[in-house]
Amino acid sequence: MENTLRQKAKGLLESGEVKVVIGYGWNRAKTRTTPVFITDPAEAESLVWNPLCVNNLSLYLTRKFKEIKALGRPAVVAKGCDIKNIVVLMTEGQFKREDVFIIGMTCSGTVYRQELWKGELTPNIMPTKCHNCDVRNPHVADFVVGEKTNFTPPEVPTGMVFDKIKELDSKPQADRWAFWVKEFSRCVKCYACRQVCSLCYCERCITEKNMPQWIETSAHPRGNLSWNLTRAMHLVGRCTFCGECERACPVNIPLNLINQKMIGVVKEAFDFKSGYDEKTHPPMIVFSPDDKENFIK
Amino acid sequence: MADKILKKEKLGALIESVTGKGGRFVAPTTDAHQVVFKKIKSADEVAGDYILARNSFKEFLFPQTEVVAEFTMGKDSVDMRGVEVHAPQTVVFGARPCEAASLAGMRALFTWDFVDEFYTKREENTVVVTVGCTKGDDACFCTTVNLSPESTEGADVYLREAGDSYTVKVISEKGKKFLEAHAAVFGEGKAKEDALFMPEKIKEVDLAKVSARLKDKGHYDDPVWAKLTRKCIGCGACTFVCPTCRCFDMVDEGTAFEGERRKNWDSCQYDTFTLHASGHNPREHQHQRWRNRFMCKFHFYPEKFSSKGCVGCGRCIRVCPVRLDITEVMVEFSK
Repeated sequence: MENTLRQKAKGLLESGEVKVVIGYGWNRAKTRTTPVFITDPAEAESLVWNPLCVNNLSLYLTRKFKEIKALGRPAVVAKGCDIKNIVVLMTEGQFKREDVFIIGMTCSGTVYRQELWKGELTPNIMPTKCHNCDVRNPHVADFVVGEKTNFTPPEVPTGMVFDKIKELDSKPQADRWAFWVKEFSRCVKCYACRQVCSLCYCERCITEKNMPQWIETSAHPRGNLSWNLTRAMHLVGRCTFCGECERACPVNIPLNLINQKMIGVVKEAFDFKSGYDEKTHPPMIVFSPDDKENFIK
Repeated sequence: MADKILKKEKLGALIESVTGKGGRFVAPTTDAHQVVFKKIKSADEVAGDYILARNSFKEFLFPQTEVVAEFTMGKDSVDMRGVEVHAPQTVVFGARPCEAASLAGMRALFTWDFVDEFYTKREENTVVVTVGCTKGDDACFCTTVNLSPESTEGADVYLREAGDSYTVKVISEKGKKFLEAHAAVFGEGKAKEDALFMPEKIKEVDLAKVSARLKDKGHYDDPVWAKLTRKCIGCGACTFVCPTCRCFDMVDEGTAFEGERRKNWDSCQYDTFTLHASGHNPREHQHQRWRNRFMCKFHFYPEKFSSKGCVGCGRCIRVCPVRLDITEVMVEFSK
């Protein structure tokens, strides 16, 4: 697969169809993958593809990265899950389909965190999203690398995240509250969750607004709670469960739980899952006379 | 003075001895699947198998958020009141030699043009007990910045793993007093020390060259900055776990009638860090912010305070979501 990927990237750059290929390369010690931006066809050889390719590179397509945008039309190496974010960005008018060349990678799963890698991809080091993945064959792409896989996700989603949500849902409200207050107490307000999220593309985040100040920037319980809940609300109907926020969190806050819970709520209320179809607008930005009103009590 | 040892089974007694006198005992412990420095109460909480804690112990000297003043708004006046510095007697146990070496730079900054008592009082009341590393990983690079698991810079007491004991070396006056205060816990004797983990020195790095190149402002607009660091997403996680990063922001929080002035960690990796009220931002692009962090570590601190800006603990490398490796930039700037 790596060879096909390199050849394609080289060809795209040589023909001038794209100016930069956003992909994965090795770090100096070749122990971890890291995002690379290839502009010279000769450097296409440094592209790699393996289960350590965890980053969701759709992040670099957002308007937060002006310097990358300035390089010219990009091609992006994307797994199915990353493509979901690209789709959301398109439905939200961030760019058009033709503005980006998607090199879709057929995927058999990645590691949850790179440091867990011991040379073999085993189910226990894969994140919940991979166990339930329905886009291992890229669903929107200009070029697909890899053989089609026959993997079918389980009918009822399984994995740690779903188990934990079930466990939390069965608890009384006070216990759930206590759980989240404890988890958020570790928050250091570094905003890595926001920075790594391709759907957090606001140029001025609400937490940076101080006239008036909506969210207290101090890492105390009130500030932490308002930040994390606000971010969760801003991702409702948009988050694709790519898991980057939880991976980037330096203090291990289980953000996947919140995001997956929200995905479940949106699915139930609007029968909508984000990231599949660029033509369908997410429920939070459209009005329909058929919208349920049963939340008004 | 005879050779001192600390039996590992006596760690509980040491904790009791410290906390019994009203002090806080801070050590690496496992929390939410990672080893972090926390205030602990018993020996079973102390993590045994770790390279180094995910966070640095700086938060016990310089908390993430702390109230430095309180205010009440009167009809045509503001009543501003200072607060007492909360500086409990503290023992930081199990820090690594690399991170302890960060203290000189911390003190230099917090006593530079203004003595920040919130920091100095706390540091004065803290005893740092380091333990030489017997484990490491590919992010460790202390030897590249002229430190090693044998360094004792910044430490008050230096321990070495030795089977079921630690060998004990007193480094500072504070350390000596610490041993005297808890004399019952320490024993006399010798023990065979376990082998240390020595990270391989990155031979392509030449700190003098890095420093010289940074001093010459010609590098400022070098496209190499953008090339090396364009993947940086500006999350600032590196600055939060870094033992030498110490930038902070002052915020007023509260209602229209009363509130608190807080000193919060800030990060030079945020665009708001240098954003002017006019809307102009002298560090508009992420690579410029990254350049600043690198210069702070390898030029500003060494030059201004003759102290280390980087101690080679490797936390920034481990925590980076895009694996931006500071040593790769050091290699580039050694050319």
